[in-house]
Amino acid sequence: MCSEEGGMGRLSSAFWKVLGGSRRRAFSRSRAVVATAAKLEGEYRELTESDLAERLAALSRRHRPVDGDDGAGSTATFDRDELVRFLALAREVSRRRLDMPAFDVQLLAAARMFAGDVVEMLTGEGKTLAGAIGATAFALRGRQVHVISVNDYLARRDAEWMAPLYEAFGLSVAWISSTSTPEEREAAYAADVTYAAVSEFGFDVLRDRLGTDPIVPAPQVALVDEADSVLVDEARVPLVLAGSTAGAAPDSIITDLVRALKPDLHYRTDEDDRNVFLTEKGAAAVEDALGGVDLYSEEHVGTTLSQVNVALHARVLLRRDVHYLVRDGRVQLINESRGRVAELQRWPDGLQAAVEAKEGLAVSDTGEVLDTMTVQALISRYPTVCGMTGTARAADEQLRTFYDLGVSIIPPNRPCVRVDEPSRVYATIADKEAAIVDYIARTHETGQPVLIGTMDVAESEHLAKLLERAGVDCVVLNAKNDAAEAAIIAEAGALGAVTVSTQMAGRGTDIRLGGSDQADHEKVKDLGGLCVVGTNRHVSRRLDEQLRGRAGRQGDPGRSIFFSSLEDDLVVRHAPDARLPTTTEEDGQVTGLAAERLLDHAQRVADAALLEIHSNTFRYSRLSERHRAILDERRELLLGTDTALRELERRCPDRYRELSAEIDEEVLVSVARRITLFHLDRCWVEHLAFLSDLRESIHLHALGKQNPLDEYHRAAIPAFRDLLGEVDERAARTFEEATITAEGIDLDDAGLVRPTATWTYLVQDNPFGSELDRAFRGIRRMLDGRRGRADDED
Amino acid sequence: MLSAFRAALTTPDLRKKILFTLGIVAVYRLGANVPSPGVSSPNIRQCLELIENSGSANIYSLLNLFSGGALLQLSLFALGIMPYITASIIVNLLGVVIPRFEQLRKEGQSGQAKLTQYTRYLAMAFAVLQATTFVALARSGQLFGNCPHQVIPDGSVFNLVVIVIVMTAGTALVMWFGEMVTERGVGNGMSLLIFCSIAARIPAEGSSILQTQGGVVFTVVCIFALAIIVAVCFVEQAQRRIPVQYAKRMVGRRMYGGTSTYLPLKVNQAGVIPVIFGSSLLYLPQLMSQLVGDGTGWLNRFIDDYIVPQSSWVHILLFFALIIFFTYFYVSITFNPDERADEMKKFGGFVPGIRPGRPTAEYLSFVLSRITLPGSIYLGIVAVLPNFFLSITEEGANQNFPFGGTAVLIMVSVGLDTMKQVESQLMQRNYEGFLR
Repeated sequence: MCSEEGGMGRLSSAFWKVLGGSRRRAFSRSRAVVATAAKLEGEYRELTESDLAERLAALSRRHRPVDGDDGAGSTATFDRDELVRFLALAREVSRRRLDMPAFDVQLLAAARMFAGDVVEMLTGEGKTLAGAIGATAFALRGRQVHVISVNDYLARRDAEWMAPLYEAFGLSVAWISSTSTPEEREAAYAADVTYAAVSEFGFDVLRDRLGTDPIVPAPQVALVDEADSVLVDEARVPLVLAGSTAGAAPDSIITDLVRALKPDLHYRTDEDDRNVFLTEKGAAAVEDALGGVDLYSEEHVGTTLSQVNVALHARVLLRRDVHYLVRDGRVQLINESRGRVAELQRWPDGLQAAVEAKEGLAVSDTGEVLDTMTVQALISRYPTVCGMTGTARAADEQLRTFYDLGVSIIPPNRPCVRVDEPSRVYATIADKEAAIVDYIARTHETGQPVLIGTMDVAESEHLAKLLERAGVDCVVLNAKNDAAEAAIIAEAGALGAVTVSTQMAGRGTDIRLGGSDQADHEKVKDLGGLCVVGTNRHVSRRLDEQLRGRAGRQGDPGRSIFFSSLEDDLVVRHAPDARLPTTTEEDGQVTGLAAERLLDHAQRVADAALLEIHSNTFRYSRLSERHRAILDERRELLLGTDTALRELERRCPDRYRELSAEIDEEVLVSVARRITLFHLDRCWVEHLAFLSDLRESIHLHALGKQNPLDEYHRAAIPAFRDLLGEVDERAARTFEEATITAEGIDLDDAGLVRPTATWTYLVQDNPFGSELDRAFRGIRRMLDGRRGRADDED
Repeated sequence: MLSAFRAALTTPDLRKKILFTLGIVAVYRLGANVPSPGVSSPNIRQCLELIENSGSANIYSLLNLFSGGALLQLSLFALGIMPYITASIIVNLLGVVIPRFEQLRKEGQSGQAKLTQYTRYLAMAFAVLQATTFVALARSGQLFGNCPHQVIPDGSVFNLVVIVIVMTAGTALVMWFGEMVTERGVGNGMSLLIFCSIAARIPAEGSSILQTQGGVVFTVVCIFALAIIVAVCFVEQAQRRIPVQYAKRMVGRRMYGGTSTYLPLKVNQAGVIPVIFGSSLLYLPQLMSQLVGDGTGWLNRFIDDYIVPQSSWVHILLFFALIIFFTYFYVSITFNPDERADEMKKFGGFVPGIRPGRPTAEYLSFVLSRITLPGSIYLGIVAVLPNFFLSITEEGANQNFPFGGTAVLIMVSVGLDTMKQVESQLMQRNYEGFLR
């Protein structure tokens, strides 16, 4: 009842069965190991502290892998007996040190992670402990583990919470947050197990690539928390290291001018709200307002027109309290899939500044992209990857294609008895809201706690107002009051609590029945546990499942229901030309399967669009990552040897002779290195800019019957070849012209400043469809045209 | 060129892909030459000789061309991948009518996978249908135009059913081959298999020319064929690049001045489709006169004298005109300037100096119609050249002669596409000697 098997899951499990079910066999082997470990429980419980310490010490005799071995070799795993003993010990240690003995299912999850799987565990089943046991297993085998968390808060909490467990096994544990200093980071990376948010690991790698002394050790094991969110949802977001250049916001004249434009008359948006563009009237209006310029002339294209477009995008497509918040005089982005403020995220290409201008705030610096890396590239650095999440099944296909990861479904410790009521579909948003308020009011009367999941900040506030009008007291939790998050969540399960939240409460939060003191636990349980109300279907089935998962934790009772309407964004954006069911009940509810199917369809289209972005990001970034790897090799060579000077000597022998007569060889080596590295990094920045230009228009090649990806490579690869020559040339020029003294060289370095992250934005690979598609569309248009004419004549 | 080949073979995973593709092609050719059980291959050979000598074009010869001669041999892969191609065209067409198909198409990979599955089922249905048809035609002797030898000596129902089943299974296998090549080999599997079928006939046709016409004509044919291939390669790669600029992002300075942002328009934007349409349409009068006429009316006589013989001037001119018409027709439905202009506008792009929307659409349509004229004339000439050749040598062979227009166009475009893909993979992998 709790999690019906998804279509995809069914398909792939059938697939594995056909292939001999090696995964299923491995899974049942792990089960057998856990069962054997369970038999030892009684014996280990009786152990005195010193006996226990002895056994731990025996197991903890590390198998440090030989130098050069990445640890993936055979020495890195336990044999069966060792694994059994390890799991039994882990349970005993967690009982004594953490006061929460690990359940069999947690041990099973740990064993599957140790085998390199992503495990699916329902909420409240204790992922943190299972993950820590898994990480311990790797670390005992002498491999450094990076536990990749969702945010700084969780990284620190989990590391500190689990520290006694690690210490009992003689392992060191550390965490990194965005405020950690380089020294703290270096120390944390030296620990056996390091907890940090994915962006911290990523930025450290990026910083290493640009710096001169790397701090991130060679990657060994990544254990990813909320794996589907990090590996699938966040994988679309490239991490960007940017150097500040002055902020370039659109002129205030243009911002004002754009504000005065009218929808449909002056500008239009496309169906899925990803693009906005001026109409001819709009362009004319802008031109008049600017004193009769020609927007599309050479002179204005790169400047005025870009400004207008960016300002228009900021005004129309980015909505306050949906996409961003304004707080403390700053624009803060909201992470779509988590509903939280995304501290480090920024919009690219002047959009951030345009939004700031729109809100009348001070314009912040604009980043120039120095280097970039996708989350996927970060994860694929690790030879061993495993993870855990509450919704792995629906991401099964993607985890396998993009990361070659298998999924293990861990059964719940106690069976889940949540009741998922059939969702209700309404014709209009107004009908839906009325029904939601009514439903909540009725549930609230019984005293059952209600958690409402809305789409965005604006909706949560709107709904709270409606509820108040209906006489229901409620608490709002959204990105605006995230400081109060812990307190609100603690009370969300209390008797009679009504909490209106965004996606923030959708993932990772653990709502205990009966409030913080759990006084009314039994009473709430008798009322049916927590009732979760979703006011919209999300863009991905996984997000719906996560929200539902807030109810019915650890065998508690619970209830969930989703309300949607045919006017929801999901339908309007992703199934715009669907025929809407028209028959409704008195209260506006649309019954029958058609409406339900339409919503499922819209959700699948939305999911497919995101997947398309993901796989495009992946396919297009693979090449530049390859290029980056070549540059990294080169950098390493330059850093470790005197290659830079030797090459400059070969290119400019006269200059070298002249300099070496006066200046120490050692100084010259370092000067040559700095010059060459500077130009290498500079050329890379330019190369990245070139690539993003190229990426923007490459889909046009589909019209010339060429494969856009092939054409992209055809243009990008020669450019990279040229880059290497260009570096040498520029370095030689600097070497010839710069003043080099005995102290070295004064490079007017561009300051490499604080990194910032950005968002990707959609560039669809082939928006035209295949040629055949177009032919059929053409035929249809001709038919429609004729029909249209026939109608006119009638 | 040769060094590129060497490089491709020394790159391990590319070598693996190429060898895999070649292996599949070998198995495919083998199956195309193994006769189905119950078919008498000596009798078939005699019938084929008869046809060749009579020189009359046959309605099935286009199908035979795509199956690499396997069809008229009634071999295991007699049907080739035509059922699959037909099925995919139909599934696409159904998308226009059936909303469910349209919905699936929008649902991305999972929906697409379902559509592919439907296509496969439909292809199987077509395969059964076509196999039954051909077996019936062969049994009654019609397939080979009144050949006196019985190609299926045992006419029992069981035997006929076995042949149908074998051919259907053969199609399923070929379909799988195609998908495997696309997935794990180089190039597009389906096109590559068609390419092989056509190319496979070259040696046989060449030797038959050598035997019947002698060395001089053979040499002339070879030179002529080479010249066509070179010309086709040249024109197929010709494109008009319309510069396009994007003004959606505010970036400090553009280092590369938009050299690589353009909209490429091919001279031959329509590909081989107009030729196929044209030649199919030209078969119609012949079919009609066979079905309804008694061979005496003036229309029938006209058709028999001027349209059916491929070397007649009326036929050639008609063919040429049809190709030009279909080129314009096909280009106009696949490339809609209004839609393209709208799309460019949506993504913030425009042609420098030309305003987006209406003016851009007009400009695109102007360039397109100008480029389509030479494109269509080129297509027409390539397609009718073999017919000229026929009228000069006064010899019977037909359009499906492997140096003919359709065949060369298909071979060259598939060959170019595959080469491009190999080249692109090669460039991605081969960084040797990149860093000193």
